[in-house]
Amino acid sequence: MDAPAIATQGLTRRFGELVAVSDVNLRVVPGQFFGFLGPNGAGKSTTIKMLTGLLAPSAGTIQILGHDLTANPVEVKRQIGVVPEGMALFGRLTGSEYLNFVGRMYGLDRETAAKRSAELLEFMQLADQPKTLVTDYSHGMQKKLALAAAVIHGPKILFLDEPFEGVDAIASTTLKAMLQRMISRGATIFLTSHVLEIVERLCSHVAIIHRGLLVAQGSIEELRAGVEAQSAAALQAGDAQAAPPSPGEKLTLEEIFLRIVGGARLADQELSWLG
Amino acid sequence: MAGLTLSRETRGQFAAIARVRWQLTFNSLRTIRGRLEMVSRVLIGFWFTLGGIGGAIGLAVGSWFLVSNEKIEWLALMFWGIFLFWQLFPVVASAFIETFDSSNLLRFPLSYPAFFAVRLVYGSLDPATLLGCLWLLGIWTGISIADPRLLVGAGLALFVFAAANILLARMIFAWVERWLARRRTREIMGVLFFLIIISFQFIGPLAGRFGGKAHPDVARFTDLLLPLERLLPPGLAASAVAGFAHGNFLGGAASFAMLCAYVIAFFWLLNARMVALYHGENLSEGLARVSPKKEKEKLPVRVGWNVPGVPGPVAAIFEKECRYLSRSGPMLFTLIMPIVILMIFRLTPLKTDRDSFLLRAPDFAFPIGALYALLMLTNLVYNNFGADGSGIQFFFVAPVRFREIVRAKNLVHASILALEMTLVWLVVFFVFRPPSLDFTLATVAGILFAAPVNFAVGNLLSLYTPKKFDFGTFGRQRAANTTTFASLGVQAVVFGIAAAAIVPAYFLHRMWIATLALLTLAAIAFVFYEFVLSRVDRIAIARRETLISELSRV
Repeated sequence: MDAPAIATQGLTRRFGELVAVSDVNLRVVPGQFFGFLGPNGAGKSTTIKMLTGLLAPSAGTIQILGHDLTANPVEVKRQIGVVPEGMALFGRLTGSEYLNFVGRMYGLDRETAAKRSAELLEFMQLADQPKTLVTDYSHGMQKKLALAAAVIHGPKILFLDEPFEGVDAIASTTLKAMLQRMISRGATIFLTSHVLEIVERLCSHVAIIHRGLLVAQGSIEELRAGVEAQSAAALQAGDAQAAPPSPGEKLTLEEIFLRIVGGARLADQELSWLG
Repeated sequence: MAGLTLSRETRGQFAAIARVRWQLTFNSLRTIRGRLEMVSRVLIGFWFTLGGIGGAIGLAVGSWFLVSNEKIEWLALMFWGIFLFWQLFPVVASAFIETFDSSNLLRFPLSYPAFFAVRLVYGSLDPATLLGCLWLLGIWTGISIADPRLLVGAGLALFVFAAANILLARMIFAWVERWLARRRTREIMGVLFFLIIISFQFIGPLAGRFGGKAHPDVARFTDLLLPLERLLPPGLAASAVAGFAHGNFLGGAASFAMLCAYVIAFFWLLNARMVALYHGENLSEGLARVSPKKEKEKLPVRVGWNVPGVPGPVAAIFEKECRYLSRSGPMLFTLIMPIVILMIFRLTPLKTDRDSFLLRAPDFAFPIGALYALLMLTNLVYNNFGADGSGIQFFFVAPVRFREIVRAKNLVHASILALEMTLVWLVVFFVFRPPSLDFTLATVAGILFAAPVNFAVGNLLSLYTPKKFDFGTFGRQRAANTTTFASLGVQAVVFGIAAAAIVPAYFLHRMWIATLALLTLAAIAFVFYEFVLSRVDRIAIARRETLISELSRV
């Protein structure tokens, strides 16, 4: 049997007294488009930082494609691509120079790095401003460049932290097309996003983290079935608010998410001045 | 512009703006960095205040002297000095500070008069305005003491002159504020500022060399400029005071009226821009956009640099570092300083009793220039990752060992040092005298000793006390205090050892002893450098959270 693309065991991270991520056991199979969801401050970014070697875990192990990340970081890094939270760009290079640089850092020869840089810039519609420095790019352009840099070496696993944040519809379509192409060629993608519609459309499997704890993991269908079963049980127990969907209706990922982590409800008497 | 009526809403808005300003200042004190920043501001403020009060006293004495000696027209010189400072300083200082973008206020229901008043008041609370007003107060005091009859007339003229300065400064800013908010423009202004500073360094030597000779061209040029000078605000202010002093009330009143006309004109121009800004116009948007013609331009596929003898990732970092440096006006500027310093030494007066040390002992020009070149690299060497910003994260996700990254950066530093030393040698060769072979060898040996020590300690401090800095901005690019003190200590020790080897050998006329001693030390330093490098990976992994959070700070 193939090793899982990502496997964590008891992954924990503490910041002083605060336990940001607690005892997380993740398992992502190669070829999966995996969404990692959670409310603000739930521990998504902390987890992705630990999975990519940007943050040391306080406890637990991380296996990437069968390699222990702590014991063999360079081998792991060769096989993954990352778009971290801050995008990790070098602002005073042009887009082409930056991609060339990243390609060579991943061990590509000069000619291959240059060729792939040009192709990626063209694909991402960034080739029109060859002399513009990255620092002068718009936020969406920087996101596209960061993604281009993450894939230039053809990684087997791609980690994306909020790749669609602040990206317009055109750029978002481009990004999605590229990610779908990678999945169709057998890569694994692990992404965090607040845009649940996109996650529902792209991902086959998701995990939900809430207050540092992994509260759900599986395919979207499995999560849906679990939530519906819980709702039915709660309704039988007399909870009128736990209504399952009408026959023929399917719970959306957003509804599943809200039922798992608990959504805020606007009480009638609150913010009455809002009109 | 409609009159500013202080309705309850407007008063509330003014109070809210003042309060938010106060809260921003107060909240900045929550961090040690913020507190240190405040301390430095207080210190700078203290020196500014001293300068302001000292200047005011000096100007008071000067104006008292001029009025007492019936040389009132010469007041124009003081007014011109103040005028130039008032208008130029804020523009140049913008290279060092982030400007407040008051267009943020436009989303609030602020009336136009309130918007205008906030912009005017907020913008005028700058050192130039405060110092300008203080200095004018000093001049007014001096004039009034010398001739009490001028108390009202001079007071009025200086008040209007101050108003003209405030409105002109605000008008200029209203037009170029957004332009200056652009990184590239700030860089250009920063370079100009440093060019001015450097040109000041040459004034003394040049004056000493060429002073005392009559230059008829200068006199002719001055004759041409004088009538024009009298039509501009500083000249008009001086003419108005002189007119009142000499009993020529008509002439004084005419100058005063023209000064008032300037105030009205500046106000009108400022108002025109403010109205446009109030309605949402932004001068800079067109500049930031790429022209359609430019958009079509595409560069051919370019391969990265090939650095012989080094692996691909090291060559990639080498190229990246060189590109960063070549795009950094401030850094390039720092790197040419050794040449500038040698030139300044060379231009000092040739009279024997005032010869500079280097003219008397030109053998030392090359070692001193080389050490200065090393000193100029301190900011780079001791804060290796400072300019990488959030890009530091990439180094942690890339499959490259940290020691290779650091080695690549040191390779760049060493290349710059070699280039600088070559330039220094050439300058010494052509400007002083050809450096002797034994001094050249001893200097090279000294640098071979000093550089690895600096690189090794610099690498450690870069990991332990990183500090983000922007290659494109002048000023406020200080390394961490620990780094500054440690680097000073290292330099003192290294230079001391080098001097201890060179100076006795020089007096013994046995420079080869110094060369040999320094080469031995260089070998030890190189071993020390490699030892530190072998520890870099472990330290970087242990320090990654601090490095990332410190360098990714917005």
